[in-house]
Amino acid sequence: MANTLDAVTLEVIRNALPAVANEMATDLQRTSYNMMIYEVRDFCTALINTDGELICQNVGGVSHFVADLGVIITDGMQRYGKDGFAPGDVIITNHQAVAGQHLNNVVIYMPYFYQGELLMFAMVRAHWIDVGGMSTGFGAGPTVADPWMEGLQLDQLKIYQAGELDETLYRVLKDNIRFPESSLGDMKSQMAACRLAARRMDELFDKYSRDTILAAIAQIFDETETKCRNVVSQLADGVYEAAAALDEDGVTRGEPVPIHAKVTIDQGAMTIDLSGCSKERRAAVNSRTLAGARVAYKALTGPLDPVNEGSFRALKVIIPEGSIMMARFPAPMSTWSMIVPMVVDTIVAALARAMPERVPAGHHGLLGGAVVFFGVHPKTGRRFVVQSIEGGGWGGRPFEDGESGTVSVCQGDVRNGSIEGIELKCPVMVEGRTLRTDSGGAGKYRGGLGIDMRVRNLVEGKWNFELVKRSHCPPWGLWGGKPGEYGVYLLREPGENDFRTMGGAHHPVPVKSEVIVRTGGGGGWGDPLERDPAAVRADVQEEFISERSAREDYGVVLRDDLTIDQTATEQARNALRSRRGSAQQGAKG
Amino acid sequence: MILDTPKGREPGRVIVVAIDIGGTFTDLIGFDDEAQRFVEAKSLTTPAELVQGVIDCIRKSGLDASAIDELIHGSTIAINTLIERKGAKTGLVVTRGTRDVYIIGRGNRPEAYNLFFHRHRPLVPRHLTREVDERLLASGETHAPLDRVSIAEACRALAAEGVEAVAVCFLHSYVNPAHERVAGEMIRAALPSAYLSLSHEILREYREFERMSTTVVNAYIGPKVGGYVKGLKSSLGGIGFDGALSIMRSNGGVMTPEIATERPAAMMESGPVGGIIASAQVGRALGSANVISFDMGGTTAKASLVRDGEPTMAPGYYVGGYASGHPVMLPMIDVVEVGAGGGSIAWLDDVGALKVGPQSAGADPGPICYRGGGAEPTITDANVLLGRLDPDNFLGGQMKLDADGARRGVKEKIAAPLRMDPVTAAQAIVEIAISKMSLAVREVSVAKGYDPRDFALVASGGAGPLHAAAIARELHIPKVVVPLFPSHFSALGMLLADERHDFIRTLYSDLAGVDFAALLKIQREMVEEARASLRHAAGAEQQIHLDLRYVGQEFTLSVPVSVEQLETGDRRGVRAAFDALYEHRYAHHSPDEPVEMVNIRLAVIGKRPKLSFPRTPATARATPARQREVYFTDARKPLLSPVYQREALGAGNRIAGPALIQEHGTTTVLFEQDTCTVAPSGELIIMVGGA
Repeated sequence: MANTLDAVTLEVIRNALPAVANEMATDLQRTSYNMMIYEVRDFCTALINTDGELICQNVGGVSHFVADLGVIITDGMQRYGKDGFAPGDVIITNHQAVAGQHLNNVVIYMPYFYQGELLMFAMVRAHWIDVGGMSTGFGAGPTVADPWMEGLQLDQLKIYQAGELDETLYRVLKDNIRFPESSLGDMKSQMAACRLAARRMDELFDKYSRDTILAAIAQIFDETETKCRNVVSQLADGVYEAAAALDEDGVTRGEPVPIHAKVTIDQGAMTIDLSGCSKERRAAVNSRTLAGARVAYKALTGPLDPVNEGSFRALKVIIPEGSIMMARFPAPMSTWSMIVPMVVDTIVAALARAMPERVPAGHHGLLGGAVVFFGVHPKTGRRFVVQSIEGGGWGGRPFEDGESGTVSVCQGDVRNGSIEGIELKCPVMVEGRTLRTDSGGAGKYRGGLGIDMRVRNLVEGKWNFELVKRSHCPPWGLWGGKPGEYGVYLLREPGENDFRTMGGAHHPVPVKSEVIVRTGGGGGWGDPLERDPAAVRADVQEEFISERSAREDYGVVLRDDLTIDQTATEQARNALRSRRGSAQQGAKG
Repeated sequence: MILDTPKGREPGRVIVVAIDIGGTFTDLIGFDDEAQRFVEAKSLTTPAELVQGVIDCIRKSGLDASAIDELIHGSTIAINTLIERKGAKTGLVVTRGTRDVYIIGRGNRPEAYNLFFHRHRPLVPRHLTREVDERLLASGETHAPLDRVSIAEACRALAAEGVEAVAVCFLHSYVNPAHERVAGEMIRAALPSAYLSLSHEILREYREFERMSTTVVNAYIGPKVGGYVKGLKSSLGGIGFDGALSIMRSNGGVMTPEIATERPAAMMESGPVGGIIASAQVGRALGSANVISFDMGGTTAKASLVRDGEPTMAPGYYVGGYASGHPVMLPMIDVVEVGAGGGSIAWLDDVGALKVGPQSAGADPGPICYRGGGAEPTITDANVLLGRLDPDNFLGGQMKLDADGARRGVKEKIAAPLRMDPVTAAQAIVEIAISKMSLAVREVSVAKGYDPRDFALVASGGAGPLHAAAIARELHIPKVVVPLFPSHFSALGMLLADERHDFIRTLYSDLAGVDFAALLKIQREMVEEARASLRHAAGAEQQIHLDLRYVGQEFTLSVPVSVEQLETGDRRGVRAAFDALYEHRYAHHSPDEPVEMVNIRLAVIGKRPKLSFPRTPATARATPARQREVYFTDARKPLLSPVYQREALGAGNRIAGPALIQEHGTTTVLFEQDTCTVAPSGELIIMVGGA
């Protein structure tokens, strides 16, 4: 059949390709054994061509996996050669020299042949609950010094050769991970998803022919690129910059980790230069990833469209070798993605002047408040792990308040654990999941609120606490909005009166300790004195803000019955304005 | 199983009427069993006066209200009250520490790259959410008793605010409802006029946010829907109706007005359901127990799968979409909807790619050819241009279509920019719509492990029969059925629906250690509850499912089991059924992995008397009413196509494509290789060429 790429065929193929990746994702999620996949959606599914270009990827998973599988195929093609793959091969890899993420993110891929010709690869990257090493669950934590401490390293290995299982490799895997039934079950699901993709691609190729499909894919890339260019070409050319910093990396105590974004707009092309970010660290917060730049670009150019190789063609990313996000093997990477949401936010903030109507104030900007408590139940002898991800506040927007208690920009469809589900499975009592009054930054449009997740353990166990990371650079306000509150982990053991700030993994706690996983709020957008007093009043009524904040941050004075005292409000606002003016003068002097 | 309550009337002369309120029209279809006669009527839906619309429709039909034995009613009142946010001022009473569960939800952002994402907009503000002191454990044991003082305080506060409805949702009430019951009594006493919903009465399943949302939705729409049902009953009484009134629900069954008043959330998605029930019935009658129901109207197309004569169920859904909608975790018939209907607009995006929908011209302004001021070309306009819709015989000729306008619109907006001729452009529009709809049909079949080749496609809705043969060909579905009354199909389905009540209980346990006696006890409790509200108890059936998964997984599969299996503790059989279902759905399974149970589900189905519809008389051969030039597969050259009037066809008639079969509300398109036979019961059976 000749190449017949008409408008209809193109549109049909455009719809069909993401549908394949999404169907892979649905099946993976529903058959998975670990909550990192079925709740946290810490996976991606994709088809990649032999040049390492992204044909399609699932929608709704973890955003920092965007278009990140190509490098693995480029590397695999170099290792095995175009003739080095056979139908029925299954390759497993997580090696950081190329994959650039923590070892828990295990990639399974299978070559796809049509009529004997290798055309593409079906791939699934998914977070395994365990890969051996020092720790289990979310990853080994920032104090891991190198990949060997982190776990099993798998470097482009064929676990199946032409449909034949490599028994030796399988046993090595099985004997060196803690929950083999879970992870190998997930591997099975990953392979099933790849096979599903092959069936769907067979149907498409049979129907439209090889040449038509390949031509359509090329055209889809081109059109996607043009769409993104069209958005960027509306921005004023220029160089835009912003900076932020994490308090510390968890190992070199007290030393900030700088983040800096320089964005250049030049006639529809965008360059994101992250050279000003930290060099690679001793702490395991390193990665090799373009995710920070790509997530930001995607969010600004076409947030609701499917992703393919064309989505990033008009974007140039500069990250020098040896950067924290272009770290060289064997730099430790077990908490590789920690920095990414803040990098995204910094890039977005840099563009606030260029596209004011599309940029919100800063969000809590960390990978959620991870709730991780684990141990062995003394009665049943069974291991248990409490896992949940708590969202935080998002920044105020150019037209409305920020969302409260929502996961970071890198986490997409990541769901918290239901309280009833947690208590059904694990010996803890969740005492509350509540919004933090006054944690959102004041603004014409207020930042969203962070969360207090309070958990009491009914048996002994260990907590993973995260160090405070944003006390020096809390989620920022924009255009005069105030910053949001930062998050913290708190512990109170039995007999203690007060909670104390905690940090560090594997912290043993006695029975009936209480922990608060506290997430940050979002920054405010615009001058709080311009906020509609009725909205301030409603916030007080809803207890999103205190009366004190209404008075001191917004200059809104309420009577006892919560009606607005107009005169007093006007006076208070004037007073705040003049105080502000004299403070500025003082600063100048 | 038989629920042997000696109730139910003797069938004699029975007149049954179904009235379906849709977005645009209110449809009535009635059947007189003795006279073997159908009655149809249609009137414009009057959103402000829904009850009046129903009464008008009965008047229009010429039926004597006092002669109607049973009236089945489906309405958009529940879903519209929620979507338009016109429900009651609602308070929420929760366990201390969980005030914000309803606002926070699951904290997720399904639109991963959307910086302006928002989740469901709460129906209850935070200041009307009151915490009380009480706490149960996951086992159902009491950790802290219910503090009556804190309930009294909550009641005082909510009464002072003048709430009209109250929802109560305590942690772990799905396993032990005692605290909710006591709280409910106190609230009823303190706020006697408020509508009350207790979470365990709405849904006995774990996951507090989803249960809370479902309960809040129920309370929020309760007063309005309850008032509507009451008003409907009394207005019907006013015109002499004294038969039984039944309300259609999302699970494909009907319920009494009393239950509808208590659980209005159960009628939320009753709209599309009627057509699926009817598809199942038509399939069964024609010997195809496996059918895919395909309904295409003005704004959307809906697909649903019927297997072994039973519609497939979904455990719940999100009103307003998964990303930002309200979870309502009540069973509903599983429907996949895509934004492709007759009114869907064709457009070019900023790089010149041709798109169809999801924007729809709706009924107002409507497609260009409706002459209602529509300026954007739609799927309907494309069909007019292709000659598949007859501009002079639309809705039986009541509405003359503007064929020139349709051509001009397609030409200016699509064909010229793409440098195509208008007919090719029109064909492209229809084909893109077909590929979108095919994806929906795939999603209910292929994506769930069912091969569409084993199914027949039952096409309904004003635009369904127009596109069904093309969709079937795309998916290799060999047979299309165009039923009688395709444009009143939802109402027809309501005539056929049985009474159905669904129950669920969370009972978390390893399958190896399941206490079957406890399971049986729960099953009996649920049957008792069903019996209390069952109108058609004679010959009632029950379906039991266990929600099972491999230990460590989150998502479950619902595995059908029998009472006998529960009685005999047939662990092995249950396990084997789970493995087999898993293999079918996901193409792999793990027989050595332990399995656990999460929920038991029970559906009790009260059989309504079956109606026997008249046969279509046989005639020798079909004669076309006229001929017309129509574009089929080839956009370059129209074919002179025979046009048949459906009313004139007789049983046994055979028609070979290309051909059109026109009737009042729709047109069936037969392509070159398709052949159609008229069944003795009147349906058009199309064997799809090249499928």
